Amino acid sequence: MKDNLISIKSVTKSFTKGKTTITPLENLSLDVPRGEFLSLMGPSGSGKTTLLNLIAGIDTPTSGEILINGEDISQLSRAQLTKWRAVHVGYIFQLYHLVPILSAYENVELPLLLGKYSKAERKKKINAALELVGLSDRADHRPSELSGGQEQRVAIARAIVHDPDLLVADEPTGDLDRESADSILNLLNSLAKDHGKTVVMVTHDPKASAAAHRALQLEKGQFSSEGHLLNTSTQ
Amino acid sequence: MKLLTLALKNLTRNRLRSLLTVLGVAAGMFLYASVQTMQHSLSVATEGNANDTTLVVYRENRFCPMTSRLPEHYLATIERIKGVREVIPIQIAVNNCGASLDVITFRGVPPETLKQYNPNIKVISGSYDDFVKQSDAALVGQHFAERRGLTPGDKFEAVGVNVTVAGIISSDSPQDENVAYVHLPFLQQASRIGLGIVTQFNVRVDSADLLEPVARQIDETFKSDQQPTDTKPEKAFFAETAKQMIELIGFTRWLGLGAVVAVLGLVANAVLLIVRGRVKETAIFQTLGFSRMAIGLMVVFEGVLLGLVGGLIGVLGAMAFFHFKAFTLGNEGLTLALSPSTTVLVSGLVVAVALGLLASLYPAWKATSRPLVQSLNS
Repeated sequence: MKDNLISIKSVTKSFTKGKTTITPLENLSLDVPRGEFLSLMGPSGSGKTTLLNLIAGIDTPTSGEILINGEDISQLSRAQLTKWRAVHVGYIFQLYHLVPILSAYENVELPLLLGKYSKAERKKKINAALELVGLSDRADHRPSELSGGQEQRVAIARAIVHDPDLLVADEPTGDLDRESADSILNLLNSLAKDHGKTVVMVTHDPKASAAAHRALQLEKGQFSSEGHLLNTSTQ
Repeated sequence: MKLLTLALKNLTRNRLRSLLTVLGVAAGMFLYASVQTMQHSLSVATEGNANDTTLVVYRENRFCPMTSRLPEHYLATIERIKGVREVIPIQIAVNNCGASLDVITFRGVPPETLKQYNPNIKVISGSYDDFVKQSDAALVGQHFAERRGLTPGDKFEAVGVNVTVAGIISSDSPQDENVAYVHLPFLQQASRIGLGIVTQFNVRVDSADLLEPVARQIDETFKSDQQPTDTKPEKAFFAETAKQMIELIGFTRWLGLGAVVAVLGLVANAVLLIVRGRVKETAIFQTLGFSRMAIGLMVVFEGVLLGLVGGLIGVLGAMAFFHFKAFTLGNEGLTLALSPSTTVLVSGLVVAVALGLLASLYPAWKATSRPLVQSLNS
């Protein structure tokens, strides 16, 4: 039996916009084993970002269960979810969203400010994270002094610095050139393969999706097809 | 601490906006501190306490030194009243009985008794002996000397009176800081009032509880005289005599209130703009795990920092202004020194911080109340 980090059971998400009720996800179930790099694909409005937000604890489902590491996060309040995210989730955004007035080092430090770490412990963790993404020599640089690929690497370092089990990435290569995108995908793959992180990535890019262990296609809030395990070179 | 550092760094993002906000707050707090300085100086001059043991004997129904004339021989009668410790006759000559920012006041006193009557007077330059020896000599209050640029040895003329500065004095009493003490007979002659006539008597009694009975007895004694008296405790006399000035200063309360409201609106607007410009970033912080409380605190810190920095500049600016300009408001021959005080400095800073805090509460709530997904998609 597989050790699932994520187990989604019959989840429905709906909301009202004006007088219309919109249901981006309906009765959806999904299991994601620990250490898997999963790609979610689909056209705009298919519900993939909604699913990602539910998995990351940014949003809550209308019905159903979302078990992450055995904990049903659909029952948590907004404040509880915030605390939960601080420990268990690393979020990677399409546009990196680094704080422009902070250096790479300080950006990576942000999630650690929420925990009880000494300055020395923080320094050790930040340096390790920056080394893992290959940016040790850019620690003092501000985002404006980095390329897009480097900014996304800093964002990944920020997402992993507090050692979460789960990494969620929303179009992480959507704003990058091919070379930088491949480099980021290799990094995400390595985080899953070598560091045991479970990575869930939303993408429009079939090439990016091909880098994942498994790819799922979403259409109108339902999985339409499941991709296969990819080439062994990335695993 | 880290949140405070983040807030500080955030303020450097839009330096021009932060600078303009700080300047606006500084201007508002300068006005507020100026008004408070006036109010504080007035309350020090008019609110009596248990240490006040001085009565002022004035001519009944007269409110200006030019019209209050009492015979100097009343001195001996007043001295005999039980409870009176000492009496000093004073002739006052002023250039203007109305409210003025540059009133010149001469106080003619018997030179040999001035120091005995008022031991708080300190001669900070020049000499008391020179004052006693030379009939046209003057001891000039520190503020007065600063205003007029006077030093010992200088001669000056005002109200038709020519004097030589024998010394510069300082005193705990604001009144002493703004007058020129001269010899009583000299002033009586120079001002053409004539020998034997004084404006008022200052009477020191043995204790504060004797102020009222002694005042009653003095007025009773001279009730049937040609020059009846009206005797009041010194601070009550000030409050009664300088009504115009007090009304004027009372009005300035509204200016202070206006300044406070302006600062509140300015900081609230600046912080609201900051929050509106960072909706997505706030959502990113929440996604990273920062609580709503932490985000709100960051916003509040920014407001408080704007208030504090602007407040520091404005209040210290006002303190420096009043210190170096040494303004004196005069009315009916009485002077009110507008002096900077620690009380105003501290209260000004507290108000500035409180305004920053108050102004950022709504923006802080606004920053954290929006649904996270909505903010991320903005």
